Amino acid sequence: MADYKQMWTDLGMDLEKHDLLCEVLPEAFGGVYLSQQNRPQGMGFYDFVVSEIHGVRPAEMLEHQKQGGKVFGTFCVYVPDEVVFAAGGIAAGLCGGSQFWVSGGEKVLPANTCPLIKASVGARLDKTCPFFLIPDMYVGETTCDGKKKAWEILAGEVPFHIIDVPQMKRDKDVAAFEAEIMDFIAMVEKVTGNKITAERLGESIKLINNKRKGLQRLYNARKASPVPISGKDALLVTQIAFYDDPARCAQMANQLAEELEERVARQEGVFPANALRIMVSGTPMAIPNWKLHHIIETAGAAVVVEESCTGTRYFENLVDESATTVEGQVRALAERYMKTNCACFTPNPGRVEDIVRLADEYKVDGIIDTNLQFCNLYSTESFLVKQALADKGLPVMHIETDYSEQDYEQLRTRIEAFLEMLRK
Amino acid sequence: MESHEYDWYILFPNHHQGLRLNRELKEQGIKNTIAPTPREASTSCGMSLIVGEADLESIMAVIEAKSIIIEKIVKIARKEWQYRSC
Repeated sequence: MADYKQMWTDLGMDLEKHDLLCEVLPEAFGGVYLSQQNRPQGMGFYDFVVSEIHGVRPAEMLEHQKQGGKVFGTFCVYVPDEVVFAAGGIAAGLCGGSQFWVSGGEKVLPANTCPLIKASVGARLDKTCPFFLIPDMYVGETTCDGKKKAWEILAGEVPFHIIDVPQMKRDKDVAAFEAEIMDFIAMVEKVTGNKITAERLGESIKLINNKRKGLQRLYNARKASPVPISGKDALLVTQIAFYDDPARCAQMANQLAEELEERVARQEGVFPANALRIMVSGTPMAIPNWKLHHIIETAGAAVVVEESCTGTRYFENLVDESATTVEGQVRALAERYMKTNCACFTPNPGRVEDIVRLADEYKVDGIIDTNLQFCNLYSTESFLVKQALADKGLPVMHIETDYSEQDYEQLRTRIEAFLEMLRK
Repeated sequence: MESHEYDWYILFPNHHQGLRLNRELKEQGIKNTIAPTPREASTSCGMSLIVGEADLESIMAVIEAKSIIIEKIVKIARKEWQYRSC
């Protein structure tokens, strides 16, 4: 068997504790993923990535560092990966989605912090995830209060740069974000020792746009009925996209999309054509958080789109590639990133508009608007989402949950009741 | 016990060998699924291939013909997959 023990030891990991996670993964993944029927062949790559989750990609990153490259760990879709790759670095999304790490985070964070933050901090402090131990620098942002304070704790562990994401979307806010990107460029240049030229940034913008296009193409196939891929599988693709090599991510997403397009042409699906089509909107579901999708899909409905950071917010809107100066490219980056509609903005009508638009594009029967426990922003915004969707006659239910199994049966009952209502 | 109550896992010394066999079997139309290796099969992490018992003979022929190195083949009683968080 692949033996990564030396690599993990060199990283200073707690091998005994980490082994407990390794023990659980096969059963957790099997229960959610391998129990599905008629999965696309292209999912083999993603099954492989999960099977070697703490081995293959961390080894690639360490090799990159051996060659003098730098690795940046990120936690948000507002961090412009383009800057990191333009400087010859690797950007890897680190958001923690495992219940296993939550208790480690609770040692230093208030219990009423969202599980994503607790898991991310716990993964680093408990030394049970190589991805959290490899980066030369973490890049945080200011998208919620919980994260802002967690950064101050993590900054005691690893060099930290924080991007100040504006709270509003006026022209002066876009300009402020543009200035933040310029500061980020200066920091990345300093850490990597590489100059970010217009040529390199231009190539990097194309690289990340290609990744977005691959994911967009994959999601487009989900608009078909019957749907050619399960929501769980599509979610896994997006989750892995956060830390995979961007060129390979685009290649694998395009390959899978091609297979899905062939399925669509044959009218082949993984759910019957009359299965309910559900949109999940709200907070991100970092790997390996598959709980809600699993409940919905084992109840017979298909998740056909995610309006979330592990969904459309990650890849909608491309960066304009026409600029030829760094200043012009940074303006284009700021404009693209500020189009993303996160609940951290006020007011935030764009997100509700996105949900309504996606409901139409993906022909959904109902929306499950969800937020991670203690996420005040998305939880509060759920009121406005509900109000707007009621006005449009779109059925919606709101769910607040965490990574644990404790509310599994309760959620299943609620979701089954919602689906039953949609069937009537 | 009936053979259909078991899953057969092929384990490898490294993922390169596992991916090679996965590719060869795919080309020959032999069903196989990449999966994390269950603890019952090995205490090491990493990928294995789940295959059907009926295909074992043909798979062994491919392994030999293509000089693919495997670690072992493990027969594990099939269990009903249950949801659990990780």
